[in-house]
Amino acid sequence: MTRSVAVIGTGQTGFRARWDSMTYVELAQRAAMQALADARMTPDDIDAVVFSMAPTHFMGVPDCDKWAVDFVGARGKPFLRVHTGGATGGSAFHAAWAHVASGQYRRVLVVGADRITETPDAQFVLNLIWDPLFEQDFALNTVTMTALATQRYMARHGVTEEQYARVVVRARANAMNNPNAHLKGRITVDDVMASKRVAWPYKLYDICPRSAGAAAVVIADEATAREVCTRPAFVTGIGAIADTVFQGDRCVPSADCDFADHAEIGIAARECFGQAGITDPASQVQVLEMYDPFSSFQFPELESMGFCARGTAARLSDEGVFDMDGRNAIGPSGGTLCTNPIGVTGLVRVADAALQVMGRAGAMQVRGVHNALATAAGGSTQFFTCTLLSDEPRRGADA
Amino acid sequence: MDTYVLGLALSPPHAALRAQRTEELAFETVRAALRDAQVARTDIDHVTLATSDEMDGRSISSMLMAMPGGAYLKDELRVTDSGLTGLVMGTLRVASGRFHLGIAVSWSHTSQIDVDDLTRMRAEPFALRPIGLNGVIADGLYAGAVQHRLGLRERAVADRVAVRRQQAARNPRALQRGPAPDADADAPLAWPLRRGHLAPASDGCVAFVLASGAWLSRHPRHRPLARIAAVASAIDSYRLDGERLGGMALFDRTLDEVLQRSGRAADSAIDVLEIEAPTAWHDLAMEHHLAGRRIGALSPSGGVWAQNPLFCSGLVNAAEAVLQVAGRAGGVQIPGARYAVAHGGHGYAQQAHTFAAFEGAGA
Repeated sequence: MTRSVAVIGTGQTGFRARWDSMTYVELAQRAAMQALADARMTPDDIDAVVFSMAPTHFMGVPDCDKWAVDFVGARGKPFLRVHTGGATGGSAFHAAWAHVASGQYRRVLVVGADRITETPDAQFVLNLIWDPLFEQDFALNTVTMTALATQRYMARHGVTEEQYARVVVRARANAMNNPNAHLKGRITVDDVMASKRVAWPYKLYDICPRSAGAAAVVIADEATAREVCTRPAFVTGIGAIADTVFQGDRCVPSADCDFADHAEIGIAARECFGQAGITDPASQVQVLEMYDPFSSFQFPELESMGFCARGTAARLSDEGVFDMDGRNAIGPSGGTLCTNPIGVTGLVRVADAALQVMGRAGAMQVRGVHNALATAAGGSTQFFTCTLLSDEPRRGADA
Repeated sequence: MDTYVLGLALSPPHAALRAQRTEELAFETVRAALRDAQVARTDIDHVTLATSDEMDGRSISSMLMAMPGGAYLKDELRVTDSGLTGLVMGTLRVASGRFHLGIAVSWSHTSQIDVDDLTRMRAEPFALRPIGLNGVIADGLYAGAVQHRLGLRERAVADRVAVRRQQAARNPRALQRGPAPDADADAPLAWPLRRGHLAPASDGCVAFVLASGAWLSRHPRHRPLARIAAVASAIDSYRLDGERLGGMALFDRTLDEVLQRSGRAADSAIDVLEIEAPTAWHDLAMEHHLAGRRIGALSPSGGVWAQNPLFCSGLVNAAEAVLQVAGRAGGVQIPGARYAVAHGGHGYAQQAHTFAAFEGAGA
């Protein structure tokens, strides 16, 4: 039987281009201590630690997690690092969830940090994620890769660059309410359109920043959660999926998941929603914290997850359906478009979604949140995670 | 725990595998494990990978390795510490009740990399990296610490190597290197560690198929190889001081914990204990710390001297332990083995210790 698990504390350092005043491990320590304080706990209260860190090639220390052990209070405890590329934070949270749901541990800290700007060219590093025999020489990186998928989606559904620009405008405005956001501000569609062209259809403002910072979350079993937290955020659904790395294999009629649609996330979302008894996500999920490092991610993923019909998300976006006061508030924090410390971005999504359910999101708070979804994506948009946070356990669902 | 090993496979060991890409190594091993479990890939609901980017030579290794690892359109999660940590993660996932049939797989194409360079880059950049610390030097520091603390002698270390080589020669899954020491065995590496004290690295892959008790109830035709009685792990300080290097407090405590989680007393008999001892100094030090415990056989497989795919040597130990309780260990079978424990370490000088305990499925 799966045991109920809840988020009871979160911590974020704030995110910026550089954190020269702290080392990597000090950043992780700050987030861990914030989350523990938020959960009214000390390191001694924690049974196990999961470390969230994606490629270490950005910050240059392959054993950064083991270096951080003493700083995050993990000494003498079970400790492991999770890495699924951009999906890392979501996967790390799922790993921590399994620790508690299994009944083997009661209180688990998930923590991580990243410093993307330690390397002078992150996209050079990201070229090295590809197969050395087939794709590394093709100038492929995460920008050019997702630009290709976006072109495919635009050709199918007639979406314009201006519609993507409105996503950026909304995200930057939402981020004004988030003290931890890296990029924020009142910008216009014209500002986005006038920004430097990078890889068609992307301009600079369509692309997330390279962020440094740390995040942490404390989770616990239901009994502990109800004891220490007045309004825990219960984990009512988890889903994850992995697809082939090869984009070409996802661009043929026989593909199980189309490259343009990010259709894999639909499989993960259905699994996640099924556990929570969610049958109509558009009406039942009030907030989404999505892993959207590019302005083009939201439309296909919202459609794949069942928030709207295929090819309609851009129009609904224009109509304000995904605004803070819309039907589904997308990224009240500003999302990944405004802040992307890759190794913990998925965890930040979970933390921000949990805060919405806990009613502690401050100026970002959306009213009446019962369910909030956090997503993460990684690799060649091949790894996806979905995590549903809710105000109560969803007993009786197909968990 | 209500989690079982339904099948497993170890790739044939290689000193230097050139005929296969790492993807092919993983694919063939996972396929063999599924065959051993008599299930199809479509039957599984999750995959846990245990791999290292740095050892695989890619920034996100799982991008290319998840599919040959069996994860196409499956719920996949990866840990990066060690192969045995992957088994722990897979076990917890099944024990959660959310997953019921999965793969845990790890590999090490060690011959493709410069291990000394790789382990040097693992050091933090302010103090340890500038002085050139790497894995061998950390093991040398460990050897010096246990030599001082436990009074270990170099003759005993050499004898232990000979014993392990003899055991490995009886192991049908071992890389047969012969009983004679290597020509440069006396070459100093990091005092008091000599080349001959350090088990040579090899290439290999290990895959497990894990099942929940609920899945087994629904599939009575399938018989598990073993029940996973417990898993336990702990990590020590990153700081390589005397207490951390020679104390081995976490080794003792975590072994106690896996016994306790197995529902056994601290003085309970362990029929087989497979330890990951990267050098014979580690081997002797661990044996010293096991004094007073009732260990039927210590590393009868020959341990890392049988094969040593660095990242997944602990998972090889788990496979050997399962084969013991399943009565399938061949030439190194311990008669009547019913409870076997596998150990693995990772980090500089085994910063972390992990144990997995297995019981014969009928126990």
